[in-house]
Amino acid sequence: MLRASAGGFGFLGLAGLLAEESGLLASPSGNPLAERPPHFKPRARRVIFLFMHGGPSGIDILDPKERLTRDHGKPLPIERPLAFDDENPAGPLMQSPWEFRPGGRSGLPISDLFPHVRDCADDLCVIRSMVGEGVDHGAAMLQTFTGTSTFVRPSMGSWVVYGLGTENQNLPGFIMIKPALSHGGAKNWGSAFLPGAYQGTAVGHGGLYVKDVRKEPIRYLLNERYSPELARYELDMLQNINRRHRQMRRHDPELEARIQAFELAFRMQAAAPEVFEVEKESEPTRRLYGLDDPLTADFGWQCLLARRMAERGVRYIQCTHTYMPGGVGWDQHGELYAKHTDNARQVDRPIAGLLKDLKGRGLLEDTLVIWAGEFGRTPVSQNGDGRDHNPYGYSIWMAGGGVKGGIAYGATDEFGYHAVEDRMHIHDFHATMLHLLGIDHEKLTYTYGGRNFRLTDVAGVVAHKILA
Amino acid sequence: MARIAVYFACIAKIPGPKQTVQMNRSNLIHPSRVTSLLLLPALALCGFSAPARSQAPEAEELFEKKIRPLFVRHCMACHNSELATAGLDLSTAEGFRRGMGGNPLISVESVSQSRLLKAVRYQDAVKMPPAGQLDPAEIADLETWIGLGAPWPKAMAETGEAPEVSTGLWSLEPVADPGPPPVARQDWARTPIDRFVLAKLEEQNLEPAPPADKLTLLRRATFDLTGLPPSVQDIERFLNDTSPDAFDKVIGRLLDSPRYGEHWGRHWLDVARYADSTGNDEDHKYPHAWRYRDYVIDVFNRDLPYNEFILEQIAGDLLPRTGHLEIDRRRIIATGFLALGPKAIAQQDKIRMVYDVYDEQLDVVSRSVLGLSITCARCHDHKFDPILTRDYYSLISVFASTRSFVDPTSHVSEMFMKPLVLPEEHQVYLDHKKKIDDRKQAQGKLVEKEKERFAEAESRRLADYMLAAHRIYAQGADPAELSRTLELKESILERWAGYLKPGQGFRPHLLAWRRSGEDQRPSVARDYQDKFRAQFHEWNGELEAWRQRVEKSGPDEAKEDRPRFIPGRDRFFHEVYLQGNPRDESYQTPFILKPGDTELFSEEHRETIVRLQEEIEQLEKEAPAEPDMANAVEDGKVVEQKVFVRGDPANRGEDAPKTSPRVFDTRCRPMEASQGSGRLQLARWLIQPEHPLTARVMVNRVWHWHFGQGLVRTPDNFGAKGEPPTHPRLLDFLARKFTENGWSVKSLHRLIMRSRAYQMASARSELTARTDPRNLWLSHFPRRRLKVEEIRDGMLALDDSLDLKMGGTLQSGTGYQPENSSERLSIDPETQRLRTIYLPLRRANLPPLLALFDFGDATTSSGERLQTNVAPQALFMLNSQFVETRSRVLAELLLNDPNSDDRERLNLAHLRTLSRYPRGEELDQALDYIRGFQERSPGHESRLQGWQSYCKALLSSNAFMYVD
Repeated sequence: MLRASAGGFGFLGLAGLLAEESGLLASPSGNPLAERPPHFKPRARRVIFLFMHGGPSGIDILDPKERLTRDHGKPLPIERPLAFDDENPAGPLMQSPWEFRPGGRSGLPISDLFPHVRDCADDLCVIRSMVGEGVDHGAAMLQTFTGTSTFVRPSMGSWVVYGLGTENQNLPGFIMIKPALSHGGAKNWGSAFLPGAYQGTAVGHGGLYVKDVRKEPIRYLLNERYSPELARYELDMLQNINRRHRQMRRHDPELEARIQAFELAFRMQAAAPEVFEVEKESEPTRRLYGLDDPLTADFGWQCLLARRMAERGVRYIQCTHTYMPGGVGWDQHGELYAKHTDNARQVDRPIAGLLKDLKGRGLLEDTLVIWAGEFGRTPVSQNGDGRDHNPYGYSIWMAGGGVKGGIAYGATDEFGYHAVEDRMHIHDFHATMLHLLGIDHEKLTYTYGGRNFRLTDVAGVVAHKILA
Repeated sequence: MARIAVYFACIAKIPGPKQTVQMNRSNLIHPSRVTSLLLLPALALCGFSAPARSQAPEAEELFEKKIRPLFVRHCMACHNSELATAGLDLSTAEGFRRGMGGNPLISVESVSQSRLLKAVRYQDAVKMPPAGQLDPAEIADLETWIGLGAPWPKAMAETGEAPEVSTGLWSLEPVADPGPPPVARQDWARTPIDRFVLAKLEEQNLEPAPPADKLTLLRRATFDLTGLPPSVQDIERFLNDTSPDAFDKVIGRLLDSPRYGEHWGRHWLDVARYADSTGNDEDHKYPHAWRYRDYVIDVFNRDLPYNEFILEQIAGDLLPRTGHLEIDRRRIIATGFLALGPKAIAQQDKIRMVYDVYDEQLDVVSRSVLGLSITCARCHDHKFDPILTRDYYSLISVFASTRSFVDPTSHVSEMFMKPLVLPEEHQVYLDHKKKIDDRKQAQGKLVEKEKERFAEAESRRLADYMLAAHRIYAQGADPAELSRTLELKESILERWAGYLKPGQGFRPHLLAWRRSGEDQRPSVARDYQDKFRAQFHEWNGELEAWRQRVEKSGPDEAKEDRPRFIPGRDRFFHEVYLQGNPRDESYQTPFILKPGDTELFSEEHRETIVRLQEEIEQLEKEAPAEPDMANAVEDGKVVEQKVFVRGDPANRGEDAPKTSPRVFDTRCRPMEASQGSGRLQLARWLIQPEHPLTARVMVNRVWHWHFGQGLVRTPDNFGAKGEPPTHPRLLDFLARKFTENGWSVKSLHRLIMRSRAYQMASARSELTARTDPRNLWLSHFPRRRLKVEEIRDGMLALDDSLDLKMGGTLQSGTGYQPENSSERLSIDPETQRLRTIYLPLRRANLPPLLALFDFGDATTSSGERLQTNVAPQALFMLNSQFVETRSRVLAELLLNDPNSDDRERLNLAHLRTLSRYPRGEELDQALDYIRGFQERSPGHESRLQGWQSYCKALLSSNAFMYVD
């Protein structure tokens, strides 16, 4: 077992392990990130996750509720489940301040918060019946990203790369663009007990401006001191020392593995910076993502970068709209109208731009785009004009990557409080995502501490109805 | 490699069915006998390790994986043993067989006609579950399961059979007293340890490796005991010392160095899952965690006996006061061991939260001291180890009676902290604080009165203010002049302009104002004024009514029902008058008054407010410093714990009196009757010399940290799922010696390091590479990669840059203040020069450098670290500022000595980095390289850069990164 292998492991040890652990074929090269065939034919080859930190309100965006309009101001007639913020007690039912209108040929209703995304309605598979267990942000985010709200477990991006490897060996396989450091922080993209090779690589963090992220997008990636020739000259000296050292120490594959790791690193530092050259995109493309408007430039940059990474074979990419400089996050316990409006303005155009661009390039077919927060918000008001957290029934959407477009799946009760039809627990969501990637979530396992673990714990049902 | 793919669910979060399965203890599979079972496909992810008695494993697997969870999720909210809605109980096999009022749910003859299937297919009048039809896949599973005869494996508790407590588990057998075995090569064995090792080698027909050379041994021992490379002086002294006990002297010197405690303390901190924040959700700071860290370092340096160390960490606060302040303080700080775990303190289900904390505390105690993961028994009797759910709750009872929170029920639970001074001294501090608070309160009341008066007066001209403000922010008018001509207060007018100016986000309550044209603006302003004043009077009325109520009923109720203004009721009023300015702290919104706004106060109150302000400032100046505090625990209310059936706090079972797990009762003295929480009795139970696990687990840890692998390869798991020891007699020999030597860890180091086994070369022979690739039989010393602290501290030390200051913290603040994103980061180790152990660790955002080199997660007790080799680590060596700086400092240090020539410089470079002299051809090659570098990169710094580049290659090399 991994932790018991004498003196750790190099690539070779790990590859054998992967084969045994996951039932997936190990690559002959023994590189832990080498591409591995899925369990069955995949619908999606990669994931772009657009994470809306704070909890956007599904009933104001994707899940219209007539009853709220009709009974606006009346008390909630059903028992209220555990809430997050009891110091600011719940008010009565509150109607959505936004109009819903049909989008695309499918007529899928989307509110005026997202007019640009509404133009892409025919590509969206809206899931109105998400269910989680975390009532606070930390628990809900951990569960969204790792399947559990209380333990430290590998994140879903780590599981995906562990299962499939990655297509481009010169880039990390799992990248988090400007992730939030609060509410779980790096645990949300950590590999926990999976080998470190599978942890997410952060590009900056949520507290930074894009201009600062661009200076050093990935730590240690750039060598600005030497010319490539001089860097190679230095590396040759190092490898010389290493090979002489190894010759005197036979039968130790780790030493050779470390020599190879330097060669791989050298290739990465040469190839990777190109992916960040967003300014090389054409003017119309940059406009499409809203890079021309200070309001949308941050998330636009994230989305455009995500597309460039997707094109270059990064397996799992996440963009995060968070409590960034000048932003307030989606956590509207008050001032829902004002702040959801601000938030949506910042992401609507970039997201629509991403969908259209992916589609135009034929990438949407095998790229699964997911838009989600850590939970939704309550149908009852709080502080007069806000909404509390609601993990009991909330909405997200998926697009591309083998899901049906222009449909709404599942339903909440008439208030939008509890999911009642085709409930999709976070475990089911994970199972479905893995299924689209060609992975049987019950077979993607890893033994640790005497137990076999998987992303979906003991649960998870694939939502076959949404598969195209 | 022996591995068994066994899966079980620790259903800690969803109260689910018992996951226990019928298990005959004799079926417990010993890891070494398991390999062949891996061929069984059904075991790839199956519900149990051992084939159950009657039913086919596939059927039971289906039940445990699919059917039981389905019943739990969809049915058991109503159809459980308590409610049994419609007479149906789906929580037990019996209930299922009984069906609905005696009518069976299934028909094995005609599966599709089963009532259960018809109901879930919505074909019947009864449509279940009512909340929405099951997934087709789930229905298919049900059908398959019924087709197999609907097997329902019985859980242990259902059968009433307790598991046998005699387990055959080697680690629970008494510690033997073995003499060293006879060996053929008497001459090789120097110490008893060597005879144990050699006997195994001879059994396996393997040869021990030759002794390591002197410099290899010195580098090994120095990194091993201090986490640092030997200095050039250390190297020269050792080379020149030809006495037979030269190496013994080295061991003694290293053990006496304070650097020893810093390195070995860090080993223990891994086991104690030490960090400076709560991790899980909000990642709150533990402001005083560092005291526990310093305590651990001190414990190792002073060689505090291990039994006392355990005692202090679990129950130090309960030991009798010695009267020596330092000792009494230390014993409170020691309980940080229990207090510093990961916690989800914003979790709103507070019962679950506190029981998660107790569970975590029990987990760290049982894993670290006993090498057992007892917490698997939270929901069901332990699958592999003889720990019952009742045992679990008996131990949980101890932690449930221990206080970790001031008030666990607050929204974000407030953690308990204990003052480290005498109670009287703490009282002085509290009294002084109260004096300040009292004055602040009195002042606050007056300011509030003033604010009311002020707003009453000024809001009569609110429209004028808004109109004037518009001329300032929209037309650039001069506030001073405007306020003069309009007779408005200038400071307030400026606030209005700041508040109303656009560009502060979307503010719907200002939309009417924003959209009004020149013509309508005065009337719109008037509307704002009228609405404000109406709201103002309404709100004051509510407040006044409350004040009168308080006057009648007394101050106790005052706090409770003070009316709260719901902001959404009127955002404009709320911002202007109540909340202040949430968007920009640089100025206040118009009608907020603060104690400093003296010129706005009335004659009547101005003087008092100013006087109170002076008194507050004076008192704050004189305030005694906050006494030293510790994140610690103390005894709380004694809880008589019950078993939570299936881990569900709402489902209380039998009593779980505070006692040690039953399986140990025949092996050592059971835990004494508890007083208070029972922590002291628990700790004493753990440290009795007869305990079969405590000494064994620790000596194995020490062996593991010396050799990079334990005699038991799973140092944190001495249960059935761990590996058995390769050298059981040696393990017991060491455990005996350990307790006989008064649990002295330093004695144990000497015992191990003086052996030939420790002093072998790391060369692996062709034969061992083939027949013993894991080096189970210790035919050579295992080569290991440096740990991240050794890499960082080592690089700093070898160019004399390491700051050897001990103790204290780099983190400030109490942890309850809101933090922005960058403050949630741990301090970047690349910018610091203290030893890594002294840098604070934020669990949620560990420094990337630590994560990169397999530090672990600082969340789970773990006595071993992974060692990976991946490209991002190589990028750190190639491109990080840290390695760049280190290599430059080293190069400067070499070049700055005018008395040495280049060959001497290279000698020194190799000695400092690799602890050995360069060989002849290495010298020539290095000189060629530096010359070549200068040619390729000419410039005034090219010589320095060439040397720097060579130093960087040395630091990045395997020769530096590995210890032979």
